[in-house]
Amino acid sequence: MSPDVHALLGAYVLDAVDDLERAAFDRHLRECEVCRMETDELREVAARLADGAWSAPPPRLRENVLAEIAGTRQLAPPAPPPARRRSPGRLRLVAAAAVVVAAAGAGAAVYAIQDQRVRDARQVAALAEQREARVRSILSAPDVQVHAERLNSGGRVTVASSQSRNAGVIMLAADGAPDPGKVYQLWTIRGGAPASAGALGEGQSTAVQVVDGMPGASDVGVTVEPAPGSATPTTPLDAVVKLT
Amino acid sequence: MAWEESVCEKRRDMAERDIGGRPEYLTPVPGPGTAPGAEVLLAAVARGDEKAFGRLYDLVAPRVYGLVRRVLRDPAQAEEVAQEVLVEVWRTASRFDPERGSATSWVFTIAHRRAVDRVRAEQAAAERTVKVGVASIGTPYDEVADEVTGRLERQQVRHCLDVLTEVQREAVTLAFYQGHSYPQVSELLRVPLPTVKSRMRDGLIRLRDCLSAGVAA
Repeated sequence: MSPDVHALLGAYVLDAVDDLERAAFDRHLRECEVCRMETDELREVAARLADGAWSAPPPRLRENVLAEIAGTRQLAPPAPPPARRRSPGRLRLVAAAAVVVAAAGAGAAVYAIQDQRVRDARQVAALAEQREARVRSILSAPDVQVHAERLNSGGRVTVASSQSRNAGVIMLAADGAPDPGKVYQLWTIRGGAPASAGALGEGQSTAVQVVDGMPGASDVGVTVEPAPGSATPTTPLDAVVKLT
Repeated sequence: MAWEESVCEKRRDMAERDIGGRPEYLTPVPGPGTAPGAEVLLAAVARGDEKAFGRLYDLVAPRVYGLVRRVLRDPAQAEEVAQEVLVEVWRTASRFDPERGSATSWVFTIAHRRAVDRVRAEQAAAERTVKVGVASIGTPYDEVADEVTGRLERQQVRHCLDVLTEVQREAVTLAFYQGHSYPQVSELLRVPLPTVKSRMRDGLIRLRDCLSAGVAA
């Protein structure tokens, strides 16, 4: 197919093409399975950019959407295609393999790698999603309370806690990482006793950590500990966030 | 544009401190192991399950709304378009094809497309009214959301965007987050059209490689 159309792949995935180009590329995709796979794969990547644009919607949006879907008819599933949609492309490849063994072999390898990449991309997306889903559910809780403090060493620690979710989120944004061999460590303090809520890696200065049962704690503390972290704080608190 | 540049500068300064570091993460906290994923929910939605739709909403709405709002800038319009997108998800759930990608990516593709369509429609109708000052809708949620957005953003996606070359990053983000077409991006960056097209594609490929390298995180 014309290289002109194919060069649009990135712009197409980013919705940066006009309607005519989009139609031309859609036609191209129907004929080119390798392009379709690359498009699907890069679309998966572009969708991850949405992670960077997270913002809690106003609560009324949920009610409005649910009310509207209750009165909206759904599209019927598409009629099943006469054969598997992918088969024409595959068959053509197989035919090519019979004729030009070497070339078809290389083609198959590309397929395998792309398949693997789609799976990897999905796995990463699923993991990130699981982590972020927890954060989101806490931050969008109706009873979320937010407290923030400065770190003595420079930077900020913010704690969002929700009674109804019985969990909280600690967001650490230090101005810089501690000296080599030292790490930031987070603590929840209950009845005066600190329990570790996780230690950052060496060289790390920011983190988002979910803590179960956070509403039971009176304070959140931050210390600088010898890597990879300590069982109890060994240094004075760098910051204390009072939760009550 | 000046305000945007200064924001970008600041972001870059913040991000530079993490350069050379790996994606930021802590020891993983066990998630809600039993929570069904977007694929399962979307399949149930296709069968008309409104309860499943509610759960899918909770999973994707903040990113749908955030993305649309980032592209459109105007919170009121963003809310309207986000509602259209989510109703569209309900309406066309049966057309989702798991062979072609993940359920969340299908949803965000619809969201991005709708947001960009709205931008283009407005550009065609008249010069778009840029309401830079209206970025806040004044709910207490917002403050928290923005705080976290910054943090999350600087995690994997942000880290990976920093791996791109300057032109790749600008080309990808101007198109994705601001809804510019590639000729507009070419104009803004003063880079020839074919270069913009290839930078968008190279940029996405590089992002893909960086994001999949982060599996261990």
